[in-house]
Amino acid sequence: MITTIFGGLLLAAAAAYITGRGKARRLSDQEKLHSRPVYHGAWTGLAGLLPALLLVCTWMAVEGPVVMRLTAAGLPESIGRMGPAATGLFFNDVRNLLTGAVGPGQVRPEAVAAAAAWRHYLRLGRSLLAGFAALAMAAGWGFAICRIKPSFPARDRVERIIRVILFLAAGVAVLTTVGILFSVLFEALHFFAKVPFSDFLFGLKWSPQTAIRSDQVGSSGAFGMIPVFAGTMLIAGIAMLVAVPLGLLSAIYLAEYARPRVRTVIKPLLEILAGIPTVVYGFFAALTVAPMIRDLGASLGLDVASESALATGLVMGIMIIPFISSLADDVISAVPRSLREGSLGLGATRSETIRRVVIPAALPGIVSGILLAVSRAVGETMIVVMAAGLSANLTANPLKAVTTVTVQIVTLLVGDQEFDSPKTLAAFALGLVLFVITLALNVIALQVVKKYREQYD
Amino acid sequence: MFLSFISRQPVKNTTAKKPSPGTDPARPATAGEPLLEKSRLSCRHLDVFYGAKQALHDISIDFSGNQVTSLIGPSGCGKSTFLRCLNRMNETIDICRVSGEIKLDGEDINRPEVDVVLLRARVGMVFQKPNPFPKSIRENVAYGPRIHGLARHRDEIDMIVETSLTRAGLWDEVKDRLDEPGTGLSGGQQQRLCIARTIAVSPEVILMDEPCSALDPIATARIEDLIGELKENFTIIIVTHSMQQASRVSQRTAFFHLGHLVEVGSTEAVFTTPRHHLTEEYITGRFG
Repeated sequence: MITTIFGGLLLAAAAAYITGRGKARRLSDQEKLHSRPVYHGAWTGLAGLLPALLLVCTWMAVEGPVVMRLTAAGLPESIGRMGPAATGLFFNDVRNLLTGAVGPGQVRPEAVAAAAAWRHYLRLGRSLLAGFAALAMAAGWGFAICRIKPSFPARDRVERIIRVILFLAAGVAVLTTVGILFSVLFEALHFFAKVPFSDFLFGLKWSPQTAIRSDQVGSSGAFGMIPVFAGTMLIAGIAMLVAVPLGLLSAIYLAEYARPRVRTVIKPLLEILAGIPTVVYGFFAALTVAPMIRDLGASLGLDVASESALATGLVMGIMIIPFISSLADDVISAVPRSLREGSLGLGATRSETIRRVVIPAALPGIVSGILLAVSRAVGETMIVVMAAGLSANLTANPLKAVTTVTVQIVTLLVGDQEFDSPKTLAAFALGLVLFVITLALNVIALQVVKKYREQYD
Repeated sequence: MFLSFISRQPVKNTTAKKPSPGTDPARPATAGEPLLEKSRLSCRHLDVFYGAKQALHDISIDFSGNQVTSLIGPSGCGKSTFLRCLNRMNETIDICRVSGEIKLDGEDINRPEVDVVLLRARVGMVFQKPNPFPKSIRENVAYGPRIHGLARHRDEIDMIVETSLTRAGLWDEVKDRLDEPGTGLSGGQQQRLCIARTIAVSPEVILMDEPCSALDPIATARIEDLIGELKENFTIIIVTHSMQQASRVSQRTAFFHLGHLVEVGSTEAVFTTPRHHLTEEYITGRFG
């Protein structure tokens, strides 16, 4: 039904386009138009289509609640008296009936009747919608056709509509971000109602176990985020120590030294690293690198945990290399050749030119690439889940096992969870912290780029 | 004056054929006076190839010191390529091969043991588009002296910066904002900054590749005046598209056409009594 409405509207809009263009063409035979006939056509089509679409979208948004309200109004008294929980269950039955998940014999007769009413209201609503949409379409179309005259600025109108459409497209991304922020924020506020904010922010102990019964042992629960946060920073720090030098140096090699043939081989190979699923990196870290580091540590007389921050950080660093190298490669290649020649022409060697001219010129891009890579490292989950473990040790020793924010979120939310215990809600608080950190990093990255960007023409 | 021959970069291929002048019947040897008794810089039988394409054919020319020589000719005639041979900038292009002999004060600059870093300190270059580094004005000028270790202390650097900017006629305009980025200057100021940067390492020869083509007439006039002053101390070779500019700033003029050096002579002679019909057609505007 909805598809038909949409299809009909699009066809009508196409027809409106043709009529509008035709009328404008006829007019253009007599005198000069402000806008070319295609713009008059587009304006006619849009004038019909947009109000009708708006109508359809509005109805789609409110259809469910409205139909439910109408159905509920027609129900027998007994259902209304059952209380909100039971009414909710009743409407679940109705929906299941409508989707065919249950047969009419499996539910109460009232539900079958309600389903029929629901179907009726739905069909009625959609028929009315189709009628009104057609009306809106026709009104807009007719209105636009009547207004076509040589001086009508159709081109300007169409340009304005296009600008609004583009703005809406950009707005979707922004609104989604805001929506995510608020959904995390509200759950986090529930958490902070149960656990004091300062305990969470500055607490040194993380042990998110709460008692189901009051007589359980060790069930007080401690929600200090510092150990988890420190673990995240430790692992991300190790990863950056690996990724920044390797990524940057390989980018310099690729952009400045590699011959074209070498470059065409190495660059895709390096980018394959980015295509490996993080789960596979997790295997690699847990089964290859971690035991290797443990054995190496043992032979040196060091006590290395089998799930060490070092192993995780190293593998994560390898994973991030292509991020930094391909971003840095792009910005280094974008430094104008004239700058390199200026430096070489003064007698600078290739490496002096790179160190003193090319890298400083490319620095804003490089820094923002690095900060994006940090966001990536902080948000990385899979490798850490598999290789770093769950014990929230507050330590700066990379040979110990640590845990990270993302890992804790995963463990808190995996499985069947009650959504009113601090244990589960803590995940949202952690998520909020993570969100704030990565947001801050991105803002800093943007500021750095803005401040140090050099204008090349 | 001799070069200290510490080789950092080998010269690319010097084994191409070397035809002797005048053996090609289709192309007579260069008209005018390409060779001089006394010269700072002399080229003999210079050939340049980009891949399989030959960009310069058997160029032989001398340049004398303390004089401005302009290289003119239609686009694509090889004058910039020739200029870039003189400080071996063509080595930065992978597919470029140079053969022949270029002597600076009697030393062949293409020999493998010549240190290209020191060569470029002696033969400076100013480019077509002003290309100040994304650094402060002071650091732009101090760049060359720093990489060559010409100055150790801040005072010495400041001295070099002030002298170079003064000689480039820029000091009065920028002395109060030496720490501002060089890229913030106007186009003409940027080009004078690039000239200051070049003379800061005290070169003997300055190569200029259409230094005014991106500038307005007033900035151009300033650069031309500057070139006139600089010739007292430097050997200047300038590529230009403007024949008026060539006649205003240079004492000698060389005319290139399709990779051949057609005619060389005193600027006055080339512009008033050209010996080769191509030169005459070019300067009278019949092609180019």
